[in-house]
Amino acid sequence: MSARDRILGRIRAARGAGVSVTDAERATVENFIREKPRGVGPAMPWEIGPRFREQCIKMASTYDEVATRADVPEAVERYLREKALPLTAVAWPEIASLPWAGIKVEGRPARGDDLVGITGVHLAIAETGTLMFLSGAETYAATSLLPETHIAVVPASRIVASMEDAWAQTREEVSDLPRAVNFVSGPSRTADIEGVLQIGAHGPFRVHVIVVAG
Amino acid sequence: MTTPHASGASTPNTGARPHSTISFKDRAHDRLNDAKVQRAMRNFNLAGARARGVLDLENLEDIRTSAAAIRDRSLAMLDVWLERFEREATRRGVTVHWAESHDDINRITVEIAKANGVKKVIKSKSMVSEESHLNAAIEAAGMKVVETDLGEYIVQLAGETPSHIIAPAIHKNRDDVADLFHEHHKTPRNNDPAVLTMEARKFLREHFLSADMGITGGNFLIAETGSLVLVTNEGNGRMTTTMPRIHVAITGIEKVLGTMEDLSCILRLLTRSATGQSISNYITVNTGPKQAGDSDGPEQMHVIIVDAGRARLLGTDMQEALRCIRCGACMNHCPVYQNIGGHAYGWVYPGPIGSVLTPNYIGLEKALDLPHAATLCNQCGVVCPVKIPLPELMRKLREKQTERGLRPWQERTGLRLWSWLAQRPSLYGLATRVAARLGKSVGGAERTIHRLPGKGWTEGRDMPAPQGKTFRELYAERNRK
Amino acid sequence: MFLKVGLFVTCLVDLMRPRIGFAALKLLESAGCEVVVPEAQTCCGQPGYNSGDRPAAQALALKVLREFDDCDYVVSPSGSCGGMIRAHYVELLAELPQHADAARRLAAKTYELTDFLVNVAKLEVVPGRFPGTITYHDSCSGLRELGVKTQPRALLAKVPGLELKEMATPEYCCGFGGTFSVKYGEISSRIAERKCEDITTTGADAVVLGDLGCMLNIEGRLRRRGDSHTRVYHVAEVLAGVEDTDGNR
Repeated sequence: MSARDRILGRIRAARGAGVSVTDAERATVENFIREKPRGVGPAMPWEIGPRFREQCIKMASTYDEVATRADVPEAVERYLREKALPLTAVAWPEIASLPWAGIKVEGRPARGDDLVGITGVHLAIAETGTLMFLSGAETYAATSLLPETHIAVVPASRIVASMEDAWAQTREEVSDLPRAVNFVSGPSRTADIEGVLQIGAHGPFRVHVIVVAG
Repeated sequence: MTTPHASGASTPNTGARPHSTISFKDRAHDRLNDAKVQRAMRNFNLAGARARGVLDLENLEDIRTSAAAIRDRSLAMLDVWLERFEREATRRGVTVHWAESHDDINRITVEIAKANGVKKVIKSKSMVSEESHLNAAIEAAGMKVVETDLGEYIVQLAGETPSHIIAPAIHKNRDDVADLFHEHHKTPRNNDPAVLTMEARKFLREHFLSADMGITGGNFLIAETGSLVLVTNEGNGRMTTTMPRIHVAITGIEKVLGTMEDLSCILRLLTRSATGQSISNYITVNTGPKQAGDSDGPEQMHVIIVDAGRARLLGTDMQEALRCIRCGACMNHCPVYQNIGGHAYGWVYPGPIGSVLTPNYIGLEKALDLPHAATLCNQCGVVCPVKIPLPELMRKLREKQTERGLRPWQERTGLRLWSWLAQRPSLYGLATRVAARLGKSVGGAERTIHRLPGKGWTEGRDMPAPQGKTFRELYAERNRK
Repeated sequence: MFLKVGLFVTCLVDLMRPRIGFAALKLLESAGCEVVVPEAQTCCGQPGYNSGDRPAAQALALKVLREFDDCDYVVSPSGSCGGMIRAHYVELLAELPQHADAARRLAAKTYELTDFLVNVAKLEVVPGRFPGTITYHDSCSGLRELGVKTQPRALLAKVPGLELKEMATPEYCCGFGGTFSVKYGEISSRIAERKCEDITTTGADAVVLGDLGCMLNIEGRLRRRGDSHTRVYHVAEVLAGVEDTDGNR
């Protein structure tokens, strides 16, 4: 008997079930997974756009809005100049293909020494000011992780109310989850020295959100 | 730690000694008389953060009830959910391992590392690996292991163990950290937390980029998708699961949830209960290794599912303890923990949940004090996001100790004598009359007793003297009039 | 209104502070209740229950069951003993099914004093007066087992002259915990110290609370830390009128 079988056997014995899993038990679990009932959550009496903005700021992200995708390069440049940050960035290919002028943007995965990373998002969550990323061949996970500054371009149409809604929409859009689904809410932080909050532990120091209205 | 009972001083990096008896009273005494620990504990206020954090949940109680039901549903058919997780995870290329014991955890991990020629291991936080002293096992196998959660990194450099499950170095101050970094990094000494955090980032970044294997815990396993969920603020969980070529996650059998809906519901409470945040900075959901075309992610993903005593609680009056989602709220709100800190509890999990889990995992007789080391104020019970009735569980453990004859004879005799006397009202009346008069006379003009036998009470307090006559006497007198 | 109320005095009040028992009696009578005090009553069994000695606790619980069976209500000037009866007797007597109904009946009719005065007897006018400031400590069992929080404050608000100054953390445990206070005296005293700091920071003349165990703990710690002026009162004493008949302080 393997360790697996002994552990599962102990669990079954403890709950007074027979030696092997029955079809009825499997059906109970499968039905539950198919139905996906939602647990009790808070009331959400707010509007999605303003709530997302408010929560981004609460989580210490910075926030900007532009009218169209074509306005993104200018907004990024403005932000980088304002913060006196380098005008060089790595980005997802979908972002690198925008009409960049004042900034050098390379469409490649981030390395440990890249300082600015620009990504799109899969979805965003208004309840908590959260960005949701799916890893993939052209949506590198490290771009939102390694650089000190992370800029995320968020189409307004991709902002949903809750994490439950985000999962529901994701299931409609992708058949299998990618290797990594990352939810990011503001810059990296720690309070491990005397409980004093420090921004920028291992991940980015800055998360800048640019919402594209149209 | 400078005290003789500190695990760090005597047993570097191996944590408490689960196979010996935990001398809770001595350990607590040391911490109560350690000025540094006392300053740190005075400064510690995650309870306040939680109080502010739950303000926006008007239906908090309903959400707690829902979260508890979600956890109970997992536990009720735990094997079926685990089997479902295993099937999905395997389909996605995860290698699932099963560890019956702490030794199994270490053996499996070291075997994976050796099979892949691993030289350096980085770790995100894993309390289960603290149970098994995994770091010592990895080092014994000739590999380097580096903790990357800042708090864990600090206690690793100090050769200690975490004193809190989410704030591992809460017992240390900025000067301790400055000394450690100066010594280990060979950098100029600086005690500014901002500078120290930056320094850790710089040193750990090199490890992230050069390690062969990353070890994490697992906040949850999702049966629906075969995913592993990590909740962090620093980003070290993401680093550990993104950069090295092998990822090994270690988590308990009880951590499985049904669906992403379950996860979404529970996360609202987990992060608020822990730090008051409406969400942690990073929630990472890993489902299998790197896929075709991916530029990042590990080539191998392993999940070690650990029993090590957990299944023993299922189907017993202790089962509710397995609902625990490791937020730390019970210890953050515990008046005992707030005064003595985590190391006094002697094993991996401190505070009320530790007082329940430790005796169950390492043996009732090895942690005799723990179920008694609480005032039963139930502050833990009312803040627990999954409604674990912690005082009830501690009380049940006290009953089990009595049933097994593990309590000191003086205590058992005393309680039996009290019960015997209290069932004999006349004799009881006489005894209390004598005691009330004796107490009054000892109290004297001050009406205060400075010293009582056994010193448990009067070590730190006076005892206000009794009035002199008992209520039953005075009531009888009044009725005679 | 003539409710037959059994007063559960508690063993600590009987031995240490009979005046609290008389204060409770006076308040119940002011509220128009017919009060009976079963004279053979002793202890509710909590020390045994909380120490893991179930049989010892059961024996005493059965005694309480017998003694108060014929009362309409049972009232105790203690959230701790009241909580023991109301929140724990049914569980404690679970393996004695022949007493299950009686345990449930007793639990349902048992009240902590201030809870009873506000929610059952609906006491409008309190006899006491108190010239000075007080701060109120919420004892754990009353607060978290019985929901006693607003009741004592509502009653204290009726006391002429009394001004309530809340401490920063009135719900923080005082560290008593029954036998905990003796078994882990050092830890218990440290917890009490934090409570005393909180109390004295308010500058109130007195700390008022609803459980004698917490009173002894807090008063004992206050005196040990050299505070001889902050008075410690049971809420019943303040509501009934603090009379300095026994050098009360």
